[in-house]
Amino acid sequence: MANTLRLYLTCIRNTLEAAMCLQQNFPCQEVERHNKPEVELKTSPELLLNPVLICRNEAEKCLIETSINSLRISLKVKQADELENILTKKFLRFLSMRAEAFQVLRRKPVQGYDISFLITNYHCEEMQKQKLIDFIVQFMEDIDKEISELKMSVNTRGRLVATEFLKQFI
Amino acid sequence: MAAVAVHQFAQCITCHAWSPDQSMVAFCPNNNEVHIYKLLEDKWEKVHVLQKHDQIVTGIDWSGRSNRIVTVSHDRNSYVWNQEGAEWVPTLVILRLNRAALCVQWSPRENKFAVGSGAKTVCICYYEQENNWWVSKLIRKKHDSSVTSVAWHPNNILLATTSTDGKCRVFSTFIKGVDTRESKTSSSSDSKFGEQIVQLDLSFSWAFGVKWSPSGNTLAYVGHNSMIYFVDDVGPSPLAQNVAFRNLPLRDVLFVSEKMVIGVGFDCNPMVFAADDSGIWSFIRFLGERKASSSSSKYGSQFSEAFGKLYGQSKHGLSNDTVEPSRAHGVVHENCINCIVPLRKEGPRTKRFSTSGLDGKVVIWDLENQEVVSDYL
Repeated sequence: MANTLRLYLTCIRNTLEAAMCLQQNFPCQEVERHNKPEVELKTSPELLLNPVLICRNEAEKCLIETSINSLRISLKVKQADELENILTKKFLRFLSMRAEAFQVLRRKPVQGYDISFLITNYHCEEMQKQKLIDFIVQFMEDIDKEISELKMSVNTRGRLVATEFLKQFI
Repeated sequence: MAAVAVHQFAQCITCHAWSPDQSMVAFCPNNNEVHIYKLLEDKWEKVHVLQKHDQIVTGIDWSGRSNRIVTVSHDRNSYVWNQEGAEWVPTLVILRLNRAALCVQWSPRENKFAVGSGAKTVCICYYEQENNWWVSKLIRKKHDSSVTSVAWHPNNILLATTSTDGKCRVFSTFIKGVDTRESKTSSSSDSKFGEQIVQLDLSFSWAFGVKWSPSGNTLAYVGHNSMIYFVDDVGPSPLAQNVAFRNLPLRDVLFVSEKMVIGVGFDCNPMVFAADDSGIWSFIRFLGERKASSSSSKYGSQFSEAFGKLYGQSKHGLSNDTVEPSRAHGVVHENCINCIVPLRKEGPRTKRFSTSGLDGKVVIWDLENQEVVSDYL
């Protein structure tokens, strides 16, 4: 693994460790008997913390927004060319459509990002904090690998098809 | 290890309280019920389930002398439970709140209790003999956000509150007919109900877990920016000390003596703070021993090390180049601790206390025979 990626992921891991200190079960201050993730509704500014933006470069960045009972992590995945762009879009759309299976995945990414996670106090009660952080970091690691593998297989297949097609002209 | 007993009562515990003789424990297993367990023949058994609330119970307090339990919940109600025979009989307290209740505490004399709420108010409830009814008086328009914690001064009049606007406030809760004038000794004795004595604006982030020292001279509370604040001479000119630490923020504190405070929070390990002879507070140490790694991962690493030696380092060495694996905690609590309650008070000192957290454990800690710590007791 490239050294810069390791630094980037370590930085995200440490930030998440500090950010994932969620007050258990904080009820809504504005609406009676409601309990909503404050990071999504943003009804009371005092319940939000300053968002943290971690950039590896222009194309790869991670936004961590924290509130009193929820945490939102948005990722922008590296897209070097058009092919990577379309592969990322299709692949992450595939995942987002199956968001229930991942529990912490958001159905729609935050504007300007490719994929978002929403972690609430309920997730922190059910799951171990360390495992959650491990999952996010592992996901970021794997997504790059997955995209480059997909790209390779598309290229290989393209070359194969082209070779087969052009054989008839020999 | 300072932890003398670990009880896994539930999946997740929001708060807990002990009966006066400490033979029973009441806790909320993260739902609308309160379970009471009793120690029967060396085994904890569920003896009562208090079902009256319809949303998650956020605060429980068991009064020491009158043996009454008060519970508050997100459903905006509060109940006072009296034991009549084998049953616990609830009395509804009309809090007159329009948002969730978040925390509750009996006053030292047990004639009043305070409820902090998400409606940015604090309710002071007292019993009205002629109506056979708990009456609530509100402190309104003083807080800018939800009240996360309340603490009574030993004089039964002053009440400290923390709120998510980052401030800690001290109020007078003098109620005519309930409190008597001579019970008040401090200079702030002529203040009316709901009058704000002092507002402490030390934290940049949310404030939690406020407590008074046994004598009432010092006030301690925590901020979400990994700081703990100690305030002396609460009044017109308070003296404040801020102590920052490198670990995750705390959620609650407890004075075990005038000079020592235990803090619990997101680090899953109680932290000891103490004041030296000149009154300067500092972090002393963690109470639970932090092992290098848990037993299972130790076994794994030994195993792979052995394999590495057998087959040459390259094959079974650090083949997975993931970013450093998660830190093994190896401490008693596995998730955030959010409640700390003193046990067995002997004089002004507390030698034992219990903690509960999101991992559903109730852990009893003993400060006896603890190096460093015993010097301050």
